[in-house]
Amino acid sequence: MSIMMPAADEAVLARRDAIVAALRAIVPGEGVIDTPAEMIPYESDGLTAYRQPPMVVVLPDTTDQVSQVLKYCHEQGIKVVPRGSGTSLSGGALPLKDAVLLGLGKFKRIREIDFDNRVVVTEPGVTNLAISQAVAHAGFYYAPDPSSQIACSIGGNVAENSGGVHCLKYGMTTNNVLGCEIVLISGEILRIGGKSAENSGYDLMGVITGSEGLLGVITEITVRILQKPETARALMVGFAQVEAAGECVARIIGAGIIPGGMEMMDKPAIHAAEAFVQAGYPLDVEALLIIELDGPGVEVDELIGRVEAIAKACGSVTLQISTNETERNLFWAGRKAAFPAVGRISPDYLCMDGTIPRGALPKALTRIRELSEKYDLGVANVFHAGDGNLHPLILYDANKPGEMERAEAFGADILRCCVELGGVLTGEHGVGIEKRDLMPEMFSEIDLNQQQRLKCAFDAQGLLNPGKVFPVLHRCAELGRMHVHGGKLAFPDIPRF
Amino acid sequence: MDTLKVRDAKDVEEVVRAAIANDQPLEIVGHGSKRLIGQPMATNAVLDLSALNAVYSYEPNELIITVEAGAPLADVKSLIDAKSQQFAFDPMDTAPLLGTRGGGTIGGMIGAGLAGSRRVKAGGARDHLLGAHAVSGFGDSFKTGGKVVKNVTGYDLCKLLTGSWGTLAVITEVTLKVMPRPESERTLVLRGLDDVTANRVMTAALGSPFDVSSAAHLPSSVFRPAGGALAALASQGQSVTLLRLEGIEASAASRAASLTKLVAGFGAAELIEDAVSTEIWNAIRDVLPFAADGALGAWPVWRIVCPPASGGALGQTLARETGGDVIYDWGGGLIWAALPPKPDAQAATVRSRVEAAGGHATLIRAAEEVRRHLDVFQPQASGLAALAERVRQSFDPKNILNRGRMARGPAT
Repeated sequence: MSIMMPAADEAVLARRDAIVAALRAIVPGEGVIDTPAEMIPYESDGLTAYRQPPMVVVLPDTTDQVSQVLKYCHEQGIKVVPRGSGTSLSGGALPLKDAVLLGLGKFKRIREIDFDNRVVVTEPGVTNLAISQAVAHAGFYYAPDPSSQIACSIGGNVAENSGGVHCLKYGMTTNNVLGCEIVLISGEILRIGGKSAENSGYDLMGVITGSEGLLGVITEITVRILQKPETARALMVGFAQVEAAGECVARIIGAGIIPGGMEMMDKPAIHAAEAFVQAGYPLDVEALLIIELDGPGVEVDELIGRVEAIAKACGSVTLQISTNETERNLFWAGRKAAFPAVGRISPDYLCMDGTIPRGALPKALTRIRELSEKYDLGVANVFHAGDGNLHPLILYDANKPGEMERAEAFGADILRCCVELGGVLTGEHGVGIEKRDLMPEMFSEIDLNQQQRLKCAFDAQGLLNPGKVFPVLHRCAELGRMHVHGGKLAFPDIPRF
Repeated sequence: MDTLKVRDAKDVEEVVRAAIANDQPLEIVGHGSKRLIGQPMATNAVLDLSALNAVYSYEPNELIITVEAGAPLADVKSLIDAKSQQFAFDPMDTAPLLGTRGGGTIGGMIGAGLAGSRRVKAGGARDHLLGAHAVSGFGDSFKTGGKVVKNVTGYDLCKLLTGSWGTLAVITEVTLKVMPRPESERTLVLRGLDDVTANRVMTAALGSPFDVSSAAHLPSSVFRPAGGALAALASQGQSVTLLRLEGIEASAASRAASLTKLVAGFGAAELIEDAVSTEIWNAIRDVLPFAADGALGAWPVWRIVCPPASGGALGQTLARETGGDVIYDWGGGLIWAALPPKPDAQAATVRSRVEAAGGHATLIRAAEEVRRHLDVFQPQASGLAALAERVRQSFDPKNILNRGRMARGPAT
């Protein structure tokens, strides 16, 4: 493991038996797991290169139990790592040796479906897809659709502010959640927001979303649901140059068209996907765009025409338009299978997740190509092109000495490049442990200190998910200290009225 | 009272640091168009941001604009309008309601976070703020977010800054998402529905696949000699229910036809198009029937946000019990209530009814004396209030910025 995690508290580890017993008193039966063999499934999340058995796993099934577990850990100074389905790609749910792993997997019930207010009230362990399925009979769905939606939990989505293919038009998790029940590390249970469009007071729901399990444990969520668009059609467009594809993306947006999804793949990704699913992708193009328009039939038909004209003006070399659902799904099949497809051509791969301004796509691709040569590792690129979110897949073989380290260095350089181009370190996967040490590339110490002060307002002892997001941990007392800047009126030359 | 007209973020840092050293709380203003909203503040100096008015970059193809906080909202709106773009959350202009002058600044728009009628579809100000630079109550300039739409790097402090009424930090620069302006719009008009029935129509419309972007209901009582765009709507003392559809011409027209069928059971819908429709919606967004220079100009006005499907019943009850007038927006999820003046602005009635419906109420317009003695913003449950106060302190421990604007208590 090449990333430093907070040192284990030996005093806590020495009390392990007593801690397990105390947790059993709160969560009876099979809700406490403490044997090495049974804890193996919890050692890692979607970032499988990192593994660590937790001290103990606890799986409560009521809010009250969550509250008691957290209260106990708070009083005893024990760290807690929350976990949903364990699909995080950034190591957000990586356990700590001396921490309680708090799994929300038993919170599997949808509590209320309210079509009139267009919301679903759900427990956090319900999968993203299950929400859409539960409301599909009335034509509704839950819009954010991370590619792990069959497995990932809505609680994890809130923790990570998950995105997906359709967030260009429909927003990320944060734009689709209205309220929650949250348990603080103190054990206090709070309700924030609800079925109204806005909360009163500060927008705490907004800052809890995407806080990666560092601020509290969510036990109930109210999400917005939408009516499914009447139709969806897709174009599959090939370009001889990546620049032309990038230009096409910019012109579509510039023309005032916001597609439901707009994805790009480069040549290695196209080839891997085609070999895997035979979607009929053109193999002699440098870039492939899949552009989906959704909405009322007349609108989709007209916009398809406009996008087709733009694509041709940008020099497309292949262009297909779906005429039915089978064709549309086939266009998507390769893109959706891109990750496993790449998994077939390489023993291991690292999936990166930076975002750049759309206009910088060609520059970023050139840079990634140069880095690929420098590190002597292959790379396949898939992008959420519409919102500039890159997913370069770095190909390596963990069994070859030094390759994983080289792949990680390559990945870090890609993310630095994203920041240089005016973008950010992570578009939808979260910081976790994966990008933690790169945070100073994007934020100054002052920026990070302000974020950690907020953490102190929720968790002054830093017991919830420590070691994630922030490269350097500060004590709250230190962060809260006001540096006296002295002086009477220190601004003699500022105009006064 | 001192007014400090800052020229850049460095100036803001200096002013805030000096204010900390001297325990001199600052009132943060742009154009001052919303100064009348909130608890009266315990501040004795003004930090004037109106000179921080640069547009740093506007990239229509990236759908973003980066501007300083003091940039006039009207100027920025015309700038993006020239490229057929808009702020999709439709920020309201509070000047007519409050009787103030000046159209307000971008910083004020974010600090207040008051979205217009399109909120039901497009989201609020909080959904369109991508990044910000701000000076905290520690006197330090920090940044949060970025200049791209898709970003989960670190805590999303943009959400906290939006709607924090300048109590957390002095925003100096923001990057906002802009969206294409719809090519055309249609508004369906239904007449003569009572509030609860109108709420049902709006619920059906917003729950339909026809992509309704705004839904409002104006009870007949609000059509007192209301001038401008709304006067044209008034007819035979009937209420008016409005459903807006936007998009490309063919789409708006086709959805208007489908939606007309869907609501046929509630009456025959009239159709209003484009510029006329836009003008009507702007009047609703800015709550012109309750304008300060209108018939109800002296009445206190509450802004109530509630679960949309319960709006009709809630508003009807409030109107009956207080003798006031109400307007519904956001499909019933936003109620503007103008109530006959009483020393407490009828807060007890409003708050108990609104809380029972699962909503919250802000006293958006009232005399300073009235605001001084009651909670302008909805009081929160004690645990939540304590957390909010800890959050506030994590940005501004000395309570230097807009002291006491959002919460009554020892701080004032």
